Amino acid sequence: MAPHLTTYSFPTVHISCPCDESIAITPKSPTKPGAPAAPEEDLDESEEEEEEEETFDPRAPRSNFSLFPLDNLLYCEDCKQIRCPRCVHDEIVCFFCPNCLFEVASSTVKTDGNRCTRNCFSCPICFASLVVAPTGEGQAGPYILLCNHCLWSSAEIGIEFEKPTSITTQLAEKLKPPALARATTVSFTSPLSPVSASSESYFPSMGAPTIITPDDEEDKKELSPEERFLRLKAHYAQQRAGAGTDEYGSSPGALSRLMGLYSGLGSGSRSRSFGRGIGGFSNVGGKGKLEWTEWDTVKEIRDDEEELIERIKEVGFLGTTNKEQRIAQNHQPRFIRDLRPLAALLRTKRSKRCRACRHILVKPESKPTNIRFRIKLVAMNYIPALSISRLDPTAFNYIALTPLSTHQFLLTITNPLFDPINVTLATPAKTPGRYPSTVTILCPTFEVGANTEVWEEALQTIANQPAATIKKGRKTGMLIGTVWDLGRNWTTVVIEVVPPLLPLPGELGEDGNELATEDDRLVQIPVSVRVVYETDLERDDGGLGKEAKEKREHTYWSVLGLGRISEKMPTKTVEDAAGSSAARPMSLVSVAGKGVVGRGGAGEEASGGRVNRHSVR
Amino acid sequence: MPPKQTKGEYIETDTGNKVSRKSVILGSQNIILGGKTVIQADCTIRGDLRRTVAPGQHSGNVAIAVGRYCFLSRSSVLRPPGRTHQKTFSYYPMKIGDHVFVGEGSVVEAALIGSYVHIAKDCVIGKFAIIKDCVRIEEGTVIAPNTVIPSFSLVSGRPGVVIDELPETAQEGLELKNIYRMI
Repeated sequence: MAPHLTTYSFPTVHISCPCDESIAITPKSPTKPGAPAAPEEDLDESEEEEEEEETFDPRAPRSNFSLFPLDNLLYCEDCKQIRCPRCVHDEIVCFFCPNCLFEVASSTVKTDGNRCTRNCFSCPICFASLVVAPTGEGQAGPYILLCNHCLWSSAEIGIEFEKPTSITTQLAEKLKPPALARATTVSFTSPLSPVSASSESYFPSMGAPTIITPDDEEDKKELSPEERFLRLKAHYAQQRAGAGTDEYGSSPGALSRLMGLYSGLGSGSRSRSFGRGIGGFSNVGGKGKLEWTEWDTVKEIRDDEEELIERIKEVGFLGTTNKEQRIAQNHQPRFIRDLRPLAALLRTKRSKRCRACRHILVKPESKPTNIRFRIKLVAMNYIPALSISRLDPTAFNYIALTPLSTHQFLLTITNPLFDPINVTLATPAKTPGRYPSTVTILCPTFEVGANTEVWEEALQTIANQPAATIKKGRKTGMLIGTVWDLGRNWTTVVIEVVPPLLPLPGELGEDGNELATEDDRLVQIPVSVRVVYETDLERDDGGLGKEAKEKREHTYWSVLGLGRISEKMPTKTVEDAAGSSAARPMSLVSVAGKGVVGRGGAGEEASGGRVNRHSVR
Repeated sequence: MPPKQTKGEYIETDTGNKVSRKSVILGSQNIILGGKTVIQADCTIRGDLRRTVAPGQHSGNVAIAVGRYCFLSRSSVLRPPGRTHQKTFSYYPMKIGDHVFVGEGSVVEAALIGSYVHIAKDCVIGKFAIIKDCVRIEEGTVIAPNTVIPSFSLVSGRPGVVIDELPETAQEGLELKNIYRMI
């Protein structure tokens, strides 16, 4: 999500969601906590930056979580604010299996778990989906689960099925360890506690006969998750039964017992034993102070561990599972032979609400295969979209920008609204970071036409041609304060960037750290976009007031990822490479000669100065 | 974005399909193009691989049905899936929805591809795969045969597995009307 963590695909445009700021209660210190301390020589520049307190720093750690592509943002009409995935509430509309696309009722999910109970399995080796394949003659059984990608089959772990349907039940039957039957029927011991005898005193009505104190051997043996689950289930079922018939649920004693469970100050030995039975509290001090003890003893290498080592020797490295394979399984097996087919995890369709005002922003149709939305308030319909491209697109490598030379990009602003908008762009003259790039937006204030229907424009062309009256830089040559090009609902301006010269990778500073990390090589330009427009006032009765116009304003920060600075030195040798400001090539940047371009400052001032672009090169 | 092609490279049909003269289209009588679909040079479309029908029996003779605003990039291959069922080998029809992009060099043997699907370059879509609407398949993905990919999925890897969900705006992002206009 963070622009500098993704693999290189330039250029990128990310938009910052302001929910980040509303969370931050402490006022931002001007020196941006977390940002690397500026080196000595950059001190002047960082002081300059302090004046622009609100400048968004794309390299700040917090920015990693607030920058999103426009596609991922929603818009709350009531709050008039962008909403990112972090500031919306998700509500599940339906559960469905991604493989068979059957909808699963939420009650079924509660009882049967979040996996598909049909024939949907994925391969434990490569995670592709498995198919039920017959092994016998002419589509006859026995059947196996077969992976069509890596050709793993359930036969490898010795599992075959009699019939091709209800694989889940058949598989559960086959995977049931033989010890389970015993565990469920005979031993009703407390599953967690070796001091299970205490539960006897605790459930007098149940009587003693079903309770067996586990012998040492059983205690040592590791239980399979299924066994453990069944034991727990039995234990709690027993407790509930006791509570239902006994005094547990209704008597005044129940309350004190419950209190005793948490505080340890309950009534005497009873509560103490209960506490031990349930969660692993032990009242060793005997002074009513609870302490935690661990259930698992420290694991020593035992005989079976040596067995394990023997097994690893036997199957070799290729017979063991890798991390992904192991984590995906419930019992986290070490060996490929112990892997089991994975039942497909269910997926959800979710509606989204604004966290602030609880209005629904997204509401999909409830059928799993339907892609339509009943409500869809996405930011791309409300805020202008930025897109960036190279002015001279021929043979250009975004991942190797030449340092210290002027790069020209075209920034296009597209208006999704039905009213024309006034856009003001602002950017710090030097980007935040240890090695700042110099940025100039040639035309920071301009208008973008309304997003009217195409035919509407065709009708209007005879009446008035506003587009023709505006000078286009594309035709007249590059002028400061002139847009490059514009169309029906979009306007393009030129943005100039001079990347700094960075120390070579591997060059170490005095403190032994690398002088320029890979992060520093990325050119990231924070741009504040301020949009002002007038729109028809919406009235509650639904009609549009003819005269009533409302002025609206919206400002957001966006971050343009323009590329990566090349390691190669520029062909032109520059004497003072370290001082990037001194080494800035002669261009109109110095003509404009202002710290901050934007907010209508430099552009208007220098609008008279016409610059011939080609002479600069 | 593909550059503007030289004039005359494409044959335009009545419904606005633009088929490159250099593409290889076999069994064109079994192929339906919905209109405004672009087929670039060196594409192979195997309409000749159709259901084997017992003599006398008449069944639908469509091998490949492609919707509107689809874009088949250079050197991509559409091939109906086939399998042996009850001792006879047969091909099964392939259906592709609207606004489907198939990247350069990708091989598609899916049974069904929904609308608004983006298949990047150098992908392999296995036999009888079903890809629902609004799916993006990243470069170099190999989707195993018989895989089902649900809507709003981002698929990547070998074998291709769903690695992320697409945002609600996926449909707008995957529309191909503009690409058609550029050709």
